[in-house]
Amino acid sequence: MSQQEIMDSICQFIRRDQSSEEGFNDLALHLFAYQYKNNLPYQAYCLQQGRTPRTVKMWSQIPSVPINAFKEVILSSNNPKEAERIFMTSGTTQGIQGKHYHPALQVYDQSMTANFNRHFMKNSGKIRMGILFPTEEVMPNSSLAHYLALAVKEFGTEDSSYFISEGGLEIEKLIDGLEEAKRTGEPYALLGASYSFVHMLDELEKIGGVFSLPKGSRILDTGGFKNNSRRLEPDDFYNRLSDRLGVARKDCINMYGMTELSTQFYDQGNGEIPSVKSGPHWIRTRVINPLTGETVPKGEQGVLVHCDLANFNSVTTILTEDIGIEVEAGFLLKGRAQGAEAKGCSLALEEFIRAKKGTSL
Amino acid sequence: MKEVGGYLPPCLEGELEYKTLTFQRNQDTVEIQIPLLTREQMDALTDIVKRNSRFILKSFTVNEIVSIIDKAIAIFLDRSSKYRQKAEKLLPIITGYDEEIIRLGLTSYLKSFRKPQLQRFLVEDLGNPLLLDDFQPRPKGGFSKAMGPELVVHVWAGNVPALPIWSLISGLLIKAGNIGKVSSGEPLFAGLFAQLLMEIEPKLADCLAIVWWKGGDEERESCLLNKADIVVGYGSNTSLASLGSKIPLTTRFLPFGHKISFGIISKAGLDSRKAWQTAHSAALDVIRYDQQGCYSPHCFYVQRGGSVSPREFARYMAHELECFEKRYPRRGLSLEEKTANAAWRNKEELNIFSNSSKEVLGTTSNNWTVVYEEGSQEINPSCLNRVVKVIAIDQLEQVIDFIGPYRSLLQTVGIASTPKELFDISDLLGKAGVTRITGLGSMTSPEAGWHHDGRFNLLDLINMVDIECSAEEYAERFAPYVD
Repeated sequence: MSQQEIMDSICQFIRRDQSSEEGFNDLALHLFAYQYKNNLPYQAYCLQQGRTPRTVKMWSQIPSVPINAFKEVILSSNNPKEAERIFMTSGTTQGIQGKHYHPALQVYDQSMTANFNRHFMKNSGKIRMGILFPTEEVMPNSSLAHYLALAVKEFGTEDSSYFISEGGLEIEKLIDGLEEAKRTGEPYALLGASYSFVHMLDELEKIGGVFSLPKGSRILDTGGFKNNSRRLEPDDFYNRLSDRLGVARKDCINMYGMTELSTQFYDQGNGEIPSVKSGPHWIRTRVINPLTGETVPKGEQGVLVHCDLANFNSVTTILTEDIGIEVEAGFLLKGRAQGAEAKGCSLALEEFIRAKKGTSL
Repeated sequence: MKEVGGYLPPCLEGELEYKTLTFQRNQDTVEIQIPLLTREQMDALTDIVKRNSRFILKSFTVNEIVSIIDKAIAIFLDRSSKYRQKAEKLLPIITGYDEEIIRLGLTSYLKSFRKPQLQRFLVEDLGNPLLLDDFQPRPKGGFSKAMGPELVVHVWAGNVPALPIWSLISGLLIKAGNIGKVSSGEPLFAGLFAQLLMEIEPKLADCLAIVWWKGGDEERESCLLNKADIVVGYGSNTSLASLGSKIPLTTRFLPFGHKISFGIISKAGLDSRKAWQTAHSAALDVIRYDQQGCYSPHCFYVQRGGSVSPREFARYMAHELECFEKRYPRRGLSLEEKTANAAWRNKEELNIFSNSSKEVLGTTSNNWTVVYEEGSQEINPSCLNRVVKVIAIDQLEQVIDFIGPYRSLLQTVGIASTPKELFDISDLLGKAGVTRITGLGSMTSPEAGWHHDGRFNLLDLINMVDIECSAEEYAERFAPYVD
């Protein structure tokens, strides 16, 4: 199959309302065969694990690639130089960024809009948006910047605006925006990185700003806090958002996504913590024991593996470092499984990396 | 099962609060109840220990102390004693290590604290152990005495069983009062050992304490650290840096940071008859405490040119690790450790494409991994838990280039070579920062009297007090019988 045929069949698949296990499996195996053939580092990796298109019969058997692999090797079925866009992960301890090559954004965009329309817009047409994140022009390699730009382009009204500039959060402009929204009485949507919301809350608390956004207004935050702001407990975070902006916690949606995927997960509001995350019919998640790759019994903690059919060019199946539990309607996120310290007195990898950079010794 | 951990002097008064640390392995659970002192109790405790070290512990001769420790060790070596049985029963549940590994590890470790070994230990550092009891004449004239401080505070870390008694015994030999803080990973053994010592010599009852608090509990920490004469700390460089920042400048701080160790195998150890034994010894160093010790190997540099090639040697090791897995299974890993382990292995598997000489050996259950590599390879930490690299080299000296940048992190080298190669490479290794060179298969059992991270176990804890010649001569003038 050519790349265009692959892309067309995925777009067609996304346009359906739902998928059967069989339909999902067929397309996943097709994609696996395509990626195995065209992505040689991945082929070598699969061979090492003894899994090839001849032996893999179920989507769940497709070898998963750890997210860190995007930093190590080029995972692209197409010539990476011909990529329309490269999304990169934010900096890490090692200062190497993972790269996700997209030969064309058609599939990514369709995956994003179909899913966003259903879970955030609830098929309600357009809404005025405020964005707490830099623009796509400022951050061309950020998948989140593209995601938000797409949200504004497809679902935002013309008077939507960005509130993050090179100088950081433009709090006065934001306050004007919030007041304007209140005055018009039209629903308003504020979207952005979770840590930007923390900066916003800090600023609003400083000046005692409290708003009551019109009915139907909603919030979308994503990405957690990382090292960009102080960490807030989720309950505290959503309580403050709700108190400051007058948006009920059930209308505060958290998006879970990653640069290495082309599809996002949403919850149905954060009235209760932890919220259940779920994805559309073209992505499936397993909760596994990372050592054996086997699915853990339902209700037990494990590490999440996502099989995303919209990832047509890199690899469909990604091994995350996110700990989760499978539940009826999706999964619960329980934090990250990273930086395992040695139990004894042997040197741990992270400490070694710090030593290498000369920061700790 | 419930067990009271730690040890407190009987004369410490007041109600005690206990914190329960729960451990689980397979179907067994054990709850260790460990006293959590208030600030006032901590203050009182340091006063008690200091006072009793000054008046009681220092009245013992070093030989008497050696005998008391020897008796305690004999009981711990006796598999029918209740102390030994308790340790053998509970430590596997607490640390997760296999019962046999713990049984063998305890015996080999404790043997180094019997009387002859302790005597050697003392002579090693002091030359004349009587320096600890009385002023001893010095060849240059004058007299000297080795004085232990009133209070040594030990902050232990990690889950390697019984490791804390190393510094605790050092503290006792120099007649210091000792307060040790056990780690949450292994809070049992130090307390058991202290209880037994008191049973053997009740006069020591108020001279030491084994306590616990949650790491980072500044109130309890600072209270103790401010009153210590010496603080011995174990842990990561990050936690040691934080500990060090809380210790007054005038207090001696002896930090033992996490270290990296490795093996070197010369082609002399790789003929078709000896290679199996070499691989067996190397694998043994890997499975003991699942590489969690600072002396545990992260990788093996294997020389080409023997009748067994480095690549074949990697397969030998894989075979040995698989056999050990059946007999001494790896401890259960946390989800974080499992993730780190899988990520490490996947990363190696992905690199096969760009480095076709690489080989990743392992089973689908992922209970161990051996990675074979060629070409110039700087030392890199393994994710531990039975994961090693075998790296082919042409000349043993090449290793020096690979470890160069990490001198402050190096510790043990396990070596299989000819005697000449041993001494030639040892000099280079020492210059590169390695502090211990040992036979392959002995990496996890340092000898009595070893220099931990190149330092002196006892000398670093004492102060020498000199009576100079002039004082002696001057005093003669004032003797009542002076002519």
